[in-house]
Amino acid sequence: MNDLTPLRPRLLAGIGLTVIAAAIYTGSIPIVNAGPQAAPAAPEKPAESNALSGATLYAINCSRCHQERFATEFTPGQWKTIMIHMRVRANLPAAQAREILKYLQEDAGN
Amino acid sequence: MKIRSKILGILAAGYVMGIALPPRAAAEVSDEDFNALKEAVRQLSEKVQKLEQTHEEDQKLHDQDQQKIQQLQQQVGETQKSATEAQQNAETASQMKLKLGQLEEQVEAQKTATEAQGKAVAAAQVQPVAPVPSGPLATHNFTLAGDAEIQFGKTTGQHSAFTLADFAPVFLYRAGDNVLFEAGFDIRLQNGAVTLASGQTGNSGTTTTIDLSFATLDYLLNDYVTVVAGDMILPLGTYAERSAGWLNKIPDDPLPRAVLPGTGIGVQLRGSIPVGQSGQQITYSAYAANGPGSVDGSGRATFVDSSGNVLPNLDFGNVGIQSNGNTANEHSAVSGGGRLGWFFPLKPSYDLELGFSGQTGPWNNSGGQNWSALVADAALHISPYFELRGEYINTWWQTTDMGTLAPRGWWVQGAYKLAGLNQNLNVPLVNNLELVSRLDWVDDGLGTRTQRETVGYVYYLTNTLLLEGDYEWLHTRGPNAGSSNKWVFQLSYGF
Repeated sequence: MNDLTPLRPRLLAGIGLTVIAAAIYTGSIPIVNAGPQAAPAAPEKPAESNALSGATLYAINCSRCHQERFATEFTPGQWKTIMIHMRVRANLPAAQAREILKYLQEDAGN
Repeated sequence: MKIRSKILGILAAGYVMGIALPPRAAAEVSDEDFNALKEAVRQLSEKVQKLEQTHEEDQKLHDQDQQKIQQLQQQVGETQKSATEAQQNAETASQMKLKLGQLEEQVEAQKTATEAQGKAVAAAQVQPVAPVPSGPLATHNFTLAGDAEIQFGKTTGQHSAFTLADFAPVFLYRAGDNVLFEAGFDIRLQNGAVTLASGQTGNSGTTTTIDLSFATLDYLLNDYVTVVAGDMILPLGTYAERSAGWLNKIPDDPLPRAVLPGTGIGVQLRGSIPVGQSGQQITYSAYAANGPGSVDGSGRATFVDSSGNVLPNLDFGNVGIQSNGNTANEHSAVSGGGRLGWFFPLKPSYDLELGFSGQTGPWNNSGGQNWSALVADAALHISPYFELRGEYINTWWQTTDMGTLAPRGWWVQGAYKLAGLNQNLNVPLVNNLELVSRLDWVDDGLGTRTQRETVGYVYYLTNTLLLEGDYEWLHTRGPNAGSSNKWVFQLSYGF
């Protein structure tokens, strides 16, 4: 049986949280090089209206839970199936799901 | 023309003879000569008459020929006219035949439709049901998603080992634009357990277990409501719905998730309402499910198994029917629950999500005791590199022998991608590394409390192939204490 508040684990966990605190600070610095894994999909073209583009909606909704999945990874038909799955699982608004689907299908694989 | 030439030739010969004979000679012509001449003239006259007669006959024949020619020409013209008319008639007949065929087809189709209508009317009279519109055709699609993991770990006081080989496919079948069937499985390889004579448990051989993680029919009723039915992942917090192996940054689940059911069989309505044009949204879920059950049917907090172990009497795996066909956990009513969430994105990778969820319902067979839960969840993203998320979970478990127990807990997890530092640290491969740390705590409601600190990393070999590693410090006290420190490595692949 261990004590609930040992010193060493608390110290190590504190170090971990310190790293995260540093991350918060770093996150406030303007991004110079996001790297291939970190950068979510950027909008390819500006939206014509106030509505967000499919690329922007993809970056907002999808990247908060998982790494970017590239459009070429699935066919247009598979993307349609996956978007219904994700619309239900992540509770995405229907209109946003349609815009994201359109964005992914534009460069979908064969 | 020849006859005319002959006549003119004879006349010309006579005229020449008249001129050629000298006048003085006339005076000297004898009767004999005169008679001879007369005879010659007479013969010439006869010849002329014959020639004229012949000419008239020829003329007559010519007229007859002309008449015949005209008649023949007229006949040819009439024949040509008849042939043209015949061709036109043939074309007309062909067109008429085609039209007739079309008319016959229309008549046949009309006849068939009339018969079908008649049958439908007759069927409706027999069984008065509303006609069901058929769905869109040729829009089906089958897609395989999911993940696979393999773990290698070491627990304090034990040998290191490969501890998990898990294949978790998700079968997605889209039947049209609005219907999706989805089923997730966990296929795992484990050692076979053998109970020794001493009462201890040993290993023998391997067994493959296949668990149905979830299986639902999703129907997109409209833009704001989706109907989900089947074995559902319950929206108590967000972890259960977003915890696939390649999504979870730490291999082990947060400890307090053990006081909640992960899935439930029932029906759910869920959807999302966008707010404004910035991506902001309000999300909701409302469901009815079997809810937890009682292992022995009573409302007591614990039960004793055949080996004498005292175990919690609460069973989260209540699917409503037992393998022997009996209805299991016959409590009086199903449980109800739901979640209300608010997602506020400032811009991509800068967002906040808050949610509150809960469930309540009877859990013992008599239905006199309730099990209820309340979960508060939050997630924060600041930049593409930093994420902070966590949940607070409280449950109320009414028992007949121990009053109302309160299994509860919380967890908070932070993660940072070192790519955010690459502007200052030019270290190879650093872009693909993410540091993770988690604090979690749980009280099982029966007197055992566990606290854990975890630090680890995620290395992204690709966007879906992850190498994770962490070390966990566990501290427990109470009757069920037994956890130890351990470190775990996991290779995860999402597909």
